[in-house]
Amino acid sequence: MAILSAAGLRLGYDERVVAEDLSFDVPDGELTVIIGPNACGKSTLLKALARTLKPQAGTVTLDGRPLSSYRSKDVAKRVGMLPQSPIAPESITVRDLVGRGRFPHQGVFRQWSHADEQAVEAALVATGVAELADRHVSELSGGQRQRAWIAMALAQETELLLLDEPTTFLDIAHQYEVLELCARLHREGRTLVAVLHDLNQAARYATHLVVMKAGVIVASGTPGEVLTAPLVEDVFGLPCEIIDDPQTHTPMVVPLAAPTAQAR
Amino acid sequence: MSAPSSRCTGSGQFLRQGPVSPRPVLRMGTWLSLPVRRRSVVVGAILALGLLVLTLLTLTLGTLGVPLAELPRAIVDPAPGRTEFVLNVLRGPRLITAIATGAALGVAGALFQTVTRNPLGSPDVIGLGAGASAGAACFGLLIPGLIPVPAGALVGALAAMGLVWLGTGRGFSSPGRMILVGIGVSAMAVAFVQFVLTRAGQQEATTLATYISGTFADRQWSDVAISGLTVAVLVPCALLLSRRLDLVEMGDELADSLGGRTTLTRSLVVLVAIGLATGAVSATGPIAFVALTAPQVARRLAKAPGAGILLSGLMGAVIMTAADLLVQQSPFGVQLPVGLLTALVGGVYLGYLLVREWKKGTV
Ligand SMILES: Nc1ncnc2c1ncn2[C@@H]1O[C@H](COP(=O)(O)OP(=O)(O)OP(=O)(O)O)[C@@H](O)[C@H]1O
Ligand SMILES: [Mg+2]
Repeated sequence: MAILSAAGLRLGYDERVVAEDLSFDVPDGELTVIIGPNACGKSTLLKALARTLKPQAGTVTLDGRPLSSYRSKDVAKRVGMLPQSPIAPESITVRDLVGRGRFPHQGVFRQWSHADEQAVEAALVATGVAELADRHVSELSGGQRQRAWIAMALAQETELLLLDEPTTFLDIAHQYEVLELCARLHREGRTLVAVLHDLNQAARYATHLVVMKAGVIVASGTPGEVLTAPLVEDVFGLPCEIIDDPQTHTPMVVPLAAPTAQAR
Repeated sequence: MSAPSSRCTGSGQFLRQGPVSPRPVLRMGTWLSLPVRRRSVVVGAILALGLLVLTLLTLTLGTLGVPLAELPRAIVDPAPGRTEFVLNVLRGPRLITAIATGAALGVAGALFQTVTRNPLGSPDVIGLGAGASAGAACFGLLIPGLIPVPAGALVGALAAMGLVWLGTGRGFSSPGRMILVGIGVSAMAVAFVQFVLTRAGQQEATTLATYISGTFADRQWSDVAISGLTVAVLVPCALLLSRRLDLVEMGDELADSLGGRTTLTRSLVVLVAIGLATGAVSATGPIAFVALTAPQVARRLAKAPGAGILLSGLMGAVIMTAADLLVQQSPFGVQLPVGLLTALVGGVYLGYLLVREWKKGTV
């Protein structure tokens, strides 16, 4: 039984139903990557796993107990989530922002323990934003800001970490840096779930790949098993060829040249 | 290198020590640790000093003022007669009411602005002041003598908030809807006040008009008790909520995933803010714009993230005592409602804010 597991979820916003009877066990100790077209419900699933969206039916369980039976701070000590578009408060420094990730570990009187301080500094170093620690978040570039947010999620020190498109806004080098960071956290024993849009990056870094389409998980397994040309064509509507990544020998998706493009 | 014991399994990377944090922290054993922002402490000290100076000026200025040299003795043991009258009747209650209502409104404004993520949020925007005016008009003129006018204002404010609560369909958990419904409730309340005024006699209308623009004239110790109690009970509540409120600033999803319980937090914060503003309003009548400006100015000075509850409260008290001091020493006499002055200054400031927000493209 997985530590974090969802069974029979109906997810949606007011009247709009995004997913019906969705079940998903987060594989322990794996780096799971979720891929799927826009609006298929990836973020919605992550929100339900992190208890920020209440399922209309079904349950999410942590250690076999329904998530809703825990105190919210106790869940937050174990499951962290970085949403797709978090909002940076006005005039906050990077260090203060990262410090907010410590909320579940703090109390009314114990607002800044030595453990808080160490976790924040370690997260700043791990994401390479230590030099920016005293800058205002509003003055950072998109990529620097994204790394500050990841640092905040790291400072939370949860065994499970859910990242919704952590590589958006980043240049190609920083994208790989964040992915390497994910891989390292995974090696160090954390369970990660990340939503990614780049299929080749997903294939390289995922130890477990989940493919979603219209609120349904259509395939899951190792990237080698899952990522086939018919699947990509079916899910994304993109005709492609799958070749061997010369570096990692994971599948690599090469879209077919569109006939119209040649005609132009 | 020392490793904290409660770390995640095998997170070798996390044992590396980063640079030493420059943040000063107030510590006592392991149970108390509060981060301290130097700039906020300095700003707080300056505001407290300003408040002290304003207090002394209020008590000593003018022909009726108690000379500074006599003040300490007069406070401890007021000689019966003129000094006692000035301290206990004329200026004392008025001063303390001004400080307490200023603080209450400042904190209420800080809470509203943070919870709505809107620099223009304030209890006035959701119709609290207008509701209080309507209540005062109703119980002061329409059915006089049933309950005292301040109690009428309280009833009016609570009725307006009840309407807002019902009107949003989600209680106080959706600030955006609260503002929309509040505008409607305000308009209704203002119309009601106009209606009552047209039916009232000249004399009564003037008295009511003074009350509903907010005044400190003739404050009693009962007003001190109302406003003082409001501050003493609700400001600590606001402080307890402030860390959760800080999370709400980062968006509902993140706040919830950090254990911030957004919906509950938001409702509680709005309740506390309404409580503070209602307490202030029933002591003095609605005083415009202090709730809007005090947190704004405090935040500009402190340059800190978060609601800035204590500084906003101090700032509110400073603005209010300063305004009342001006009114008391003005040539128009002490009956000029202080609310007119704050409305004038605050209106100009609101205009400035709107222009600024407009330039930033957020309005
Ligand atoms: N807060 C919301 N209120 C109402 N509907 C929403 C909300 N958030 C998402 N939706 C809808 O739910 C559906 C799934 O959205 P979701 O954000 O889960 O997609 P996604 O797979 O993460 O897409 P993307 O790749 O674009 O991030 C979409 O149709 C979207 O319009
Ligand atoms: Mg998404």
